[in-house]
Amino acid sequence: MNDDELLDDLGAAMRARASVPPGFLAAGRAAFAWRTVDAELAALAFDSAETGGVLSGTRADDAALRALTFATATLTVELEVGEDGLLGQLVPPQTGEVRVERRDGPPVTVTADDVGWFVVRPVPAGLVRLHVTAAEGGTVVTPWTTL
Amino acid sequence: MIATVRDDPTVVDLVGRARDGDQEAWEAIVERYATLVWSVCRRHGLSGPDADDVNAAVWLRLVENLGALREPAALAGWLRTTTRRECLAVLRGRRRQIPVEDQDLGDEVDAASDEWLLREERHIALREAFDGLSERCRELLSLLFADPPLEYKEISARLGMKIGAIGPNRQRCLERLRGSPGLAALLAASGNRTDRR
Repeated sequence: MNDDELLDDLGAAMRARASVPPGFLAAGRAAFAWRTVDAELAALAFDSAETGGVLSGTRADDAALRALTFATATLTVELEVGEDGLLGQLVPPQTGEVRVERRDGPPVTVTADDVGWFVVRPVPAGLVRLHVTAAEGGTVVTPWTTL
Repeated sequence: MIATVRDDPTVVDLVGRARDGDQEAWEAIVERYATLVWSVCRRHGLSGPDADDVNAAVWLRLVENLGALREPAALAGWLRTTTRRECLAVLRGRRRQIPVEDQDLGDEVDAASDEWLLREERHIALREAFDGLSERCRELLSLLFADPPLEYKEISARLGMKIGAIGPNRQRCLERLRGSPGLAALLAASGNRTDRR
């Protein structure tokens, strides 16, 4: 690369930086506040939105709009997005505290009952993740997801 | 396979420190790569609130994956792929009736895409090298790459530098730019690539 090419390329690089919306940097910096060190990151094991829809007939009375499964080695979190709420199940069944964290708002905390069942109403909007402190399965956090 | 900065010590160090909770290192990562995220958004035709959503999601994903990044030196590629996915999710949401297969997903590993990533990485290195120059060099080079271009007479007047001194100073400042460690490694890599063709 000769001097003229280098200067052209430098100009392009500097103009690209100048074109970035200021909000981009602010949002990027702010994301670090969501760093979690006390929980294991669960992997997305299933998402009906990626496989082309929820299997019909799995739940006769309450048709889910979307089903998701998150898992670590010790705990699985099954979610169903329904019309009026987010239904969840901890597997294996156990009690726990489920904190629904939202990028754009305060968290909502619900309790999983002794068969691992929990409900969040209404369905939280925007980017959310679940921070689950399970009685036996440890502390787990799901990846950020738009439900 | 096209050479990228696999051995870039800066990014490996920054990721390591951010992993340990160093906010400054995190901010340095954001400053370094925000342009790349924006550039991917633009390539997908996204701006405004849609691009803001993509951007926010990308950085949240990087925070959650800091500990899981297998190859911190390849962060640019990871960010490109992640941003691309988030862009496609936004586009999918907009056009829910269109199956994913029918959308123009491109080919992530095609040559044009590698070329693009290489250019983004070079731009990152160029900006860092530029930031490390003396104020005098930064002023001079900024006037030299201005768009539309300025005449030497104008540059001379603005900097109080003789017209005859602009050429030699330009050369000296570009030489310093080339000598910055991150950029030197990249230019060498792209030079080798050209040689192989």
